[in-house]
Amino acid sequence: MDRFTYIVGGKAGEGVKKAGSSAANLFRKMGRKTFELDDYQSLIRGGHNFSVVSSSTGDIYSHYMKADLVVNLDGRSYKIHKDHLKEDGLMIYNSGDTEDGDGVGLPIDELSKEYSKSDLIKGVAGIAVLSYVVGMSKDELKKLVEKEYSRGVEENISFAEKIYDAAEEKIDKKFELDEGEHSLPVFSGNQSLSLGASAAGLDMYIGYPMTPASSILHFFAANKDHLKVMPVHPENEIGVANMAIGATMPGARVMVGTSGGGMALMEEAMSLAGMSESPVLFVLASRPGPSTGVPTYTEQADLRFALNQGHGDFPMIVASPGSIEESFYLTGEMLNMVWKYQTPGILLTEKHLSESSMTVDLDPSKVEWASSKEFEGEDYKRYEVTEDGVSPLKFPPSEDVIKWNSYESDEKGITTEDPEIITEMHDKRRTKDETIMYDLKEINTVNEFGEDGPVIFTYGSTTMSVREALKVGDIEARVVQPVYLRPFPIWEMDEYMDEDVIVVEQSSTGQFATLLREKCRIVPKTVIRKYDGRPFEPEELAEKLKEAIK
Amino acid sequence: MSEELGTGAENTWCLGCGDFGILNSVKNAVKELEERGIERKNLLISAGIGCHAKIFDYLNLSGLYSIHGREIATIQGMKFANPELKVIGFGGDGDSYGEGLSHLIFAAKRNADITMIVHNNENYALTTGQMSPTSVEGFKGPSTPKGSIEEPINPLLLMLSSGASFVARGYPGKMKHLTELIVEAVEHEGFSLVDVLQPCVTFNDTYERYNESVEIIDEPAETRFEAMELAVEEDRVPIGVLFKEEKDVYHEKVYPEFNPVKDKISKEDRLKRIEELIKGDE
Ligand SMILES: Cc1ncc(C[n+]2csc(CCOP(=O)(O)OP(=O)(O)O)c2C)c(N)n1
Ligand code: SF4
Repeated sequence: MDRFTYIVGGKAGEGVKKAGSSAANLFRKMGRKTFELDDYQSLIRGGHNFSVVSSSTGDIYSHYMKADLVVNLDGRSYKIHKDHLKEDGLMIYNSGDTEDGDGVGLPIDELSKEYSKSDLIKGVAGIAVLSYVVGMSKDELKKLVEKEYSRGVEENISFAEKIYDAAEEKIDKKFELDEGEHSLPVFSGNQSLSLGASAAGLDMYIGYPMTPASSILHFFAANKDHLKVMPVHPENEIGVANMAIGATMPGARVMVGTSGGGMALMEEAMSLAGMSESPVLFVLASRPGPSTGVPTYTEQADLRFALNQGHGDFPMIVASPGSIEESFYLTGEMLNMVWKYQTPGILLTEKHLSESSMTVDLDPSKVEWASSKEFEGEDYKRYEVTEDGVSPLKFPPSEDVIKWNSYESDEKGITTEDPEIITEMHDKRRTKDETIMYDLKEINTVNEFGEDGPVIFTYGSTTMSVREALKVGDIEARVVQPVYLRPFPIWEMDEYMDEDVIVVEQSSTGQFATLLREKCRIVPKTVIRKYDGRPFEPEELAEKLKEAIK
Repeated sequence: MSEELGTGAENTWCLGCGDFGILNSVKNAVKELEERGIERKNLLISAGIGCHAKIFDYLNLSGLYSIHGREIATIQGMKFANPELKVIGFGGDGDSYGEGLSHLIFAAKRNADITMIVHNNENYALTTGQMSPTSVEGFKGPSTPKGSIEEPINPLLLMLSSGASFVARGYPGKMKHLTELIVEAVEHEGFSLVDVLQPCVTFNDTYERYNESVEIIDEPAETRFEAMELAVEEDRVPIGVLFKEEKDVYHEKVYPEFNPVKDKISKEDRLKRIEELIKGDE
């Protein structure tokens, strides 16, 4: 079998997420490529969580909602996922919590009772069943559990083996999965972007917990001593952004991260970064808004918010990765950008990119080490007017006096209200904006996938959904994904102006479609939108695309 | 003697403003610190927004002129990035005890190794004299024409209960004393707050009140609790170091011996470490 999808569902606190990530690891060890979506609610106990892991011997950019194997750890999960089974799929339910189930009932409740963590251990059942049906031996399962569930390993092994025995007794179906060529590591978008920033020389990560950005902070906290990137968790997002700005002055490479509400709090500092020319990289990981919205789900409704951050005119760079792999390279590139131009930048992601995981091929040596234009000579002026608008940097401690300022200031950084200097400094910052645009023309700012067929515009995590939909629907099309969104690469858009363009995005008002219209007068023929907090499902999206192309 | 510490920027404070006394005390303190081996180049300053903050333009020291209330966060960022630097923030009472209060409380809580000098003039001067967090009840300003109906907060009490490891109060009318306080605050390893009773001749002239009531205390209180009692005294206003204790500082607890900027690991080393994470334990 080539493509195979596994869903495991249960209550929060039953180890569902771990049951998903262990499965992803099982597949990747077979050399298969995997994509894992964790669907969880903003609560700690109860409710319904599930993970979907789709895998294939070839590239795979999305989960599928029709599964070959569904393992339900409780009765509610069974009800929810009853319709998520393929025709010839296998449905496993918890016989202790489900009456009249279709499929195979396993005594998950009964068997888990005797263990000290009787709820949390249930997730192990997922991996035990999966191991059995893909033809692994009990010994192989034991090794897998040892690795994945090392805390309380004895109990976990014992429970896994009991489930395996029960499966052997009751299940008469097996799946033969093809092995793939390479075993690649599995990372989430947030892990991948954190690694990318580290590869570009990050010194500090400052963050205040907010889903779906929190796991970046967790990553740096966990790897503090290994990576030597200092993690800081201050009192609020205002503290975060202002600390970050302060830290750039002595030369630290700093990244901060948050979601919409936190970004709103950082906005005052964003403008300060623009004025003081502080190179801070902000990660904005979107969730459905407005306000608290739906914290653990996905949407792309912060596009305009990201593009319009900060009061006043100042240069800013906004880019959004279209895959988990790209989030690694692009974050490194963005850290470089903000240092090169001494201005703030935003890496825009969504929950679907930040918190989904997939097999990725990362090469840290391809990431540039962030550097800046440094001052040499005498009579240092922080805001020296230069041809490209970028003033050389000098870092304290220094014999020279170095003054950065939130007020409009003269070249030395002393506050001014002089009309000529105000004009000159505005021109300096605008020149910098032009320099950025000029330089962006030399690098890749738009990804295009596919050679022929209708043009589909998309960006961010939706790019993954579209690419998978084209594959599964066997649709020939050209996918155009602007990676940079500010400055918007209008210079790359000429060839699409006269095409019948389809836009796919996750916002209710079609923010991306209106951006295309505004920036390059591309008026899409069809805008496929989704705004229920869930990412597109490739088979469903393929149907919609076929409809639109017709 | 300290003229070289000026920048030549035009001074726009009102004649008689208590900020002049603070500026001169800071200049003298910088000289004194240099004599004690703290080099000027290792001092980094920041300021909020307000009359107080103009000190940034008047001091020929490196730093970042921040925004209203956020200089407390700014200087922590500077310190964490390069702990070799001594960082000083200048705030106002509106600034540090209002807009940026959360940063102040948490800087004290985590014992960030910073010095905050708060020009406490009991009003928002730059925005034309509105009531501030420390304005007395009945204070008349454009937003409280009939007098403030709120009680003021006591910033020293607040700082003491937030775990601050150095809490002092000074008065520009006692410049030599204020200079000593600033020197001690900067030398203190950990969070230091110097609340300065700053007369604002235009909107809140407190010279008479404080000339009569301030009293220099020679020794800090023995305990935090006794310091709190000093902080709430009303008949006399004790000035000096109210409380001081040695505690581990934040950045050293994160990295006992590592300066993120100065000891930055090489690119090769970093990439090797990333490769290790990518490969995992296989
Ligand atoms: C976010 C924000 N809100 C309001 C202001 C306007 N503002 C400038 S200074 C100031 C108050 C100044 O009072 P204080 O901090 O006590 O300083 P002082 O002028 O008395 O020295 C205010 C409200 C601002 N600059 N930023
Ligand atoms: S208004 Fe008050 S605080 Fe501002 S300069 Fe004048 S006297 Fe000083």
